[in-house]
Order: sequence, then C-alpha cells, then structure tokens
Amino acid sequence: MGLISRLIRKCRAKSPWILLFDTGACNACDLEITACLTPRYDVERFGALLKGSPRHADILLVTGPVTRQARDRIIRIYEQMPEPKYVVSVGTCTTSGGVYWGCYNTYPGLDSVIPVHAYVSGCPVKPEAVLKALSVLVERIERGDI
Amino acid sequence: MIWKILEVLIFPGALFILAMSLFYEWVDRKLYARLQNRVGPHLAGPFGIFQPIADLIKLLSKEDIVPAAADKFLFTFTPIIAPTLILFGCMFLPIAGPSGIISINGDLIILIALMSLFTVIIYLAGEGSNNRLASIGATRAALQLVGYEIPLTLALLCGAISARSLSLRGIVEAQTSYGSWIIAGPQIIGFAIFIVTAQAEMERTPFDIPEAEQEIVAGWSVEYGGRRLALFRLSRDLELFLLSGLGATVFLGGPSGPLIQGLEPFLHTIYFIAKSVVVLVIFTIFRAIFARLRIDQVLSFSWRYLMPLAILLVIITGVVA
Repeated sequence: MGLISRLIRKCRAKSPWILLFDTGACNACDLEITACLTPRYDVERFGALLKGSPRHADILLVTGPVTRQARDRIIRIYEQMPEPKYVVSVGTCTTSGGVYWGCYNTYPGLDSVIPVHAYVSGCPVKPEAVLKALSVLVERIERGDI
Repeated sequence: MIWKILEVLIFPGALFILAMSLFYEWVDRKLYARLQNRVGPHLAGPFGIFQPIADLIKLLSKEDIVPAAADKFLFTFTPIIAPTLILFGCMFLPIAGPSGIISINGDLIILIALMSLFTVIIYLAGEGSNNRLASIGATRAALQLVGYEIPLTLALLCGAISARSLSLRGIVEAQTSYGSWIIAGPQIIGFAIFIVTAQAEMERTPFDIPEAEQEIVAGWSVEYGGRRLALFRLSRDLELFLLSGLGATVFLGGPSGPLIQGLEPFLHTIYFIAKSVVVLVIFTIFRAIFARLRIDQVLSFSWRYLMPLAILLVIITGVVA
C-alpha cells in the first residue's frame, strides 16, 4: 500500500477507456451504450473514452449472446488487451443467454468464457445502468479490490 | 552554468513545457466537450484539470505488449524519438523572453524540418507495427504530408519575410519594434493557412484521416498500447503546445507586450501563454465544427486552393515588405 501504487490505482480509476464488442446482438444494447457518449449522459465526465483498438482500452464492454462463432473472437480480443483489464457484461443476453438460453449455439453467459467484473441486466440496458456499472467498477478499482 | 541547466530542465524548459502541454490537452478536451454541449472531463481534480495526467500515468502503468510480428527496433524506438523531437522543437519557442532556450539563426527552418520528421517517425511507427490497419494509417499520414507541408512552410515563411528574419528571436523583435503584430495586414491570410495546415500536421478532426477511428480502428497507433501509447499521446500534446506557440510567436507577437521593470520573464510567460491559448481555442473550434474529409479531398483542396493562395501571399508579402 505504497503512495505510488495508490496514485496508480487512482489514475486507473479516473481514466477507464472503453472498448465495445458486439457478438452479433440485436443492436439495442449498443445503441444504449452509444447514448452514454451523447450530451445527455456524457461518460467522458468520468474520463472514459471510446477506443477502437483493444491495445488502447481498459474496459471491455460485451453486448449480445455469446455464440460459438463469437467465443474465439471474444477470447482473442480479451487477450489483445494489456493488463490490467476489466470486463463488463452488458445486457441479459450476455449475462445469462437471455432468450437464447439453452440454445445449441450459445453459451450460458459471458463468464463461462472470460472473467467478468460487472454485470448489467436489462433488455435493452438503460444508459443509467451502464453508468452505474462503470462507476461501481471504477470504485472497486480505486479501492484495489480487483 | 547551473542556471542554464535549471533553465533547460525546469523553467522554461522540459518540466514547464510538459506541464503546459498536458494543460493544453485539458483545455482542448474541455472546450471540445462544451462546444458539443457536454460537460467533458470533470471528476479528476477541479474541473477535471488532472485528466491528461491521469491518462498518462494509467497508460504508463499498463502492461507492455510487443506483437510477435512487429519490427522490434522500430516498435521500441519510434515512441521514444517522437516526444523527444517535439520537446526539442519546443526549446526554440520564446516563452520567458524574446528568445528561446536555444536560439540560432534560422531556427524557424529547423522547426519546420522537425515537424516533417515527426510525420516520418509516425510513418515508421505504423509500418513497424506490421499490422494492415496501421500500415494503411501510416501511408495516409505520409500522403497527407505531401498535401499540407508546403503551404505550412510558405505560411510561416510569409511571417518571416515580413519580419525580415528567419529566427524566432528576430521575428519577435521585429514585431516589438514595429509596434504591431504580423497578423495585422495581408498576413491574416497567412494565419488562416497556418491554422488549416497545422490542424493537418496534428492530425486533428477535419484531417484525422491517418487515425480515422471508424474506418481503420486507430490508424498507425493501432498496435501501440501501454507506455508506448503514453509516449505517443504525450508527443501529440507537445505538438499541440508547439504549434499553438509557433502560431502565437510568428503571427501574434509571441511573448511581447507591455512590460514592468523587474518582472519581465514572468510577464513574457503570461503573454506567451495567453496568446497561444487563443490560437489553441481557434484550433479546438476548428476541430469541433468540421467532419472528417477523405484523403483525396484533402490533397486536392490543398494543391488547388491552399498552394496557389500561399504562393500568391508570398509574392504579396515580398512586394509589400
């Protein structure tokens, strides 16, 4: 619990850069996440920026059901991100499979593929819920829980 | 000797320039957000003023990944050379007096050369990471250089011709002795050309073709993460500081202004910062009101309109001055 590590944790909490991964969802959750960037919710208040490259990002937001096709891609994107990295599962489909639960071509949740740090439920999720998940995640990063 | 070292390392040297460039990034981001009716960064420190520092420290503390296919030499050295070049260029800026830390005859030419060299470094960085998106971005950066480099040079030379000096010190002193800034008169067109081409030099929004996020992910920087990305971001901030300072020096009189005996370095710094923030605000408004152009549109615009305008301006300046 040195001063430097506390500073680093604080800086990590103040600049969570986001990468959005869509497994082929119905796009509703993606639109709600995009709404977070608009003037009404403005996620840049927390220092978050939407990044295109996995190498630049800290937080992976995954939307949509985890299909067999998307599984390998998710793992690959996750492994391309530099440590420390965090994953947020956005929407019911990603969290538990949703309406696709029990299908032959989907997995019963993102946490059966990669480690997940926060879940957002809803179909589609509300932008407020995504912001809440981000702020809870950021608080846990700052406390050093994860 | 010890004063000279302190001058280079602390004020108005490296430390001051780094702090100011991070501050400029904050001004840029905050104003950009306000122009889009957003709040912008506001949780890191008062009004989010520590946001660039938080980003920098976070990136420095992340894992360092070198892709297996990347050229190890280029991948390691381009992120180090990029901020070094621009920091060296910032040493020429007259911040705390009529001359910079380094002041030689013809330092304007050196600054232009450094800025072109920076684009070459970006090209090498993109090609060295051996990724097809980075390769496209790097090629676009080099292609864009062909478009804006000559108008930028000519616009800065117009300022030099009207001041009859190629050194920044001479340009500042000429403006002090004339009693008016170079921007008064036909050089207002030169200033406009400078604003447009500097925006292309910094790869900001109407000209952010090399790192177009929606088309080629992050352009030439796509494989750079962690501390390498931190160094590239830092060099972008330093370039913002360099170009707003250069615009303020050549066209707006730089650190000159009414002085009080005994407080000269302090007042010079205040004037320099105030004028370069004005240039920075113009840059940011420019960034906020335009959408991205295509690469062919940039090239045809700069060769059809900017180039003849710049050459015409050189002729007019030569006749008038």
